[in-house]
Amino acid sequence: MFKKLLVANRGTVAIRIIRACHELGLKTIAVYSTADKDSLHVRMADEAVCIGPAAAEHSYLNIPAIISTALTYGADAVHPGYGFLSENGDFAEACHRSGVAFVGPRARHIRLMGDKPRARRIMKRAGVPILPGSEGTGVTELREAQADAKRLGYPVLIKAAAGGGGKGMRVARDAVELARLFPLARAESEAAFGARTMYLEKYLESARHVEFQIIADNQRKLTHLGERDCSIQRRHQKVLEEAPCPVMTKRLRDKMGKAAVRAAQVVGYSNLGTVEFLLVPDGQFYFIEMNTRIQVEHGVTEMVTSIDLVKESIRLASGETLGSKHRQIEIDGAAIECRVYAEDPNTHLPSPGIVTNHHPPGGLGVRVETALYDGYRVPVHYDPLIAKVIAHGEDRSEAILRAKAALREYLIDGIKTNIPLHLQILDDPDFVAGRFGTDFLGRFEPRLEIVAERRAKAS
Amino acid sequence: MEIREIKALLALMQEYGLTELELEDKRRGRLKLVRALAASAAIPDSGIAARAQLGGQPARHLAARVSKSGGAAAAPAISENQRLVTSPMVGTFYRASAPDASPYVEEGSSVRKGQTLCIIEAMKMMNEIEAKMAGHIVRILCENAQAVEYGQPLMVIQVG
Repeated sequence: MFKKLLVANRGTVAIRIIRACHELGLKTIAVYSTADKDSLHVRMADEAVCIGPAAAEHSYLNIPAIISTALTYGADAVHPGYGFLSENGDFAEACHRSGVAFVGPRARHIRLMGDKPRARRIMKRAGVPILPGSEGTGVTELREAQADAKRLGYPVLIKAAAGGGGKGMRVARDAVELARLFPLARAESEAAFGARTMYLEKYLESARHVEFQIIADNQRKLTHLGERDCSIQRRHQKVLEEAPCPVMTKRLRDKMGKAAVRAAQVVGYSNLGTVEFLLVPDGQFYFIEMNTRIQVEHGVTEMVTSIDLVKESIRLASGETLGSKHRQIEIDGAAIECRVYAEDPNTHLPSPGIVTNHHPPGGLGVRVETALYDGYRVPVHYDPLIAKVIAHGEDRSEAILRAKAALREYLIDGIKTNIPLHLQILDDPDFVAGRFGTDFLGRFEPRLEIVAERRAKAS
Repeated sequence: MEIREIKALLALMQEYGLTELELEDKRRGRLKLVRALAASAAIPDSGIAARAQLGGQPARHLAARVSKSGGAAAAPAISENQRLVTSPMVGTFYRASAPDASPYVEEGSSVRKGQTLCIIEAMKMMNEIEAKMAGHIVRILCENAQAVEYGQPLMVIQVG
């Protein structure tokens, strides 16, 4: 096992990793930017090192600064968390070359799965179902996209070949929209990933986003730990996730789980990963991509399987192998995670500022992951995710009730959050019945505006 | 208590330069108003943070804990015509080009603009840190071969 681990991240996930290290008996080094000197992860870690100014490209994305910190301060492992450098093959390789263990898959698997058209080709060859879409290495010109769209039939989803985080992603419903949105999506991809290559996929209107948690050791042994339903999204960004998927059957789980395991096995994957699928009402499912890191929503899987995924990722990176507890999992009840963002619940604009009062909820089956405290200033420079409220219940309806009670109890003064939006989702009859797809929030939000208007009139 | 009453109290606090005001009334309960002083320049609105409380003081142990690391927080006090030399990167601080070489500068040395003051080693790369102005070295704040972080003060230069 390692002795000292560098946490190459900030916010909720840095806290999560530090806690796991403390349980494993590892010392921790936090790295931080000048904007984060009062952050909780800086205070919780055994050592903290300032690595650069506020702009992420000079601090949390600064590979030489992070490697230099690991070497200078004597870390023997680095955990990248999610976001920032977590899916950067060059970073994984730089760690390896410097003799520091990277907690995650090998650099070549990060690069392979980061090239989405290439991942599609490999999956197709391995017999994992993929959506109809662009063939080969993708498209860069509008006329190529138009030819693909004609073959696929509208609507189509334009995606960046190097994609992630909803960037460079647009739905085109006809040829006019494609002509307008393709250059826009391509420009977004160039700005975010420095790459012009795009690809098209058939867009399925009300499919569910269902993903499988993969866990693999360095000896090519691997299995899955069940699924998560992440259909509640806004602009291709997840808002609320749950495990298990409310429409899952044992038969379908076996079938999808086998496909997910095959997807990871065919490339010889190691450590944690997530295979994402779209699931349509008739039970057909399609591979969309594989994420080569711990997910924001890993907590719901932990609650229903009792497996600590962050601790497992560190153990596996140190060379430990999978055991029987990973192979014989039981899904215990249901868990829901609400991502709390520092944003206006109506306009979705970021709401940074000082948290004047912070009182997180508690009680049986309630878990809160947050880096907030009284007097903390939410910086403007980073992701607005400030807390994750996870509710675990005997079944889905108990989990929903617990999530609602917890969110009502949650006191965050001084900034605006999307907690009101979560309460509306949890009260929605379609959500409660488990009837929804990735278009749920799109259909749902105009109704929110009506409610807000009615309230304004009434007062 | 109504908003306009609170506003009137806030105006009174500003007028008399009060930082804290606490009111207790059997019928209407307790109200405590606190003006944020050190942070006031950074707060975009009025600079006054008002907090109405039902019970006692909320736990503040985490917020009150001082940052344990050095960095910008540990900057020593310097006078008007002195400047801090800070580290532009994370790495190891060296006072000389090699273990057996003599140090680039000592306390009291005169330096010209552009002169090498020390080395920060990061990822096996030796980065020379140069003086941004002429002057002389008042203090050297780090030990040879010490690990330093981004923004950490290394030396104090007296300008001129």
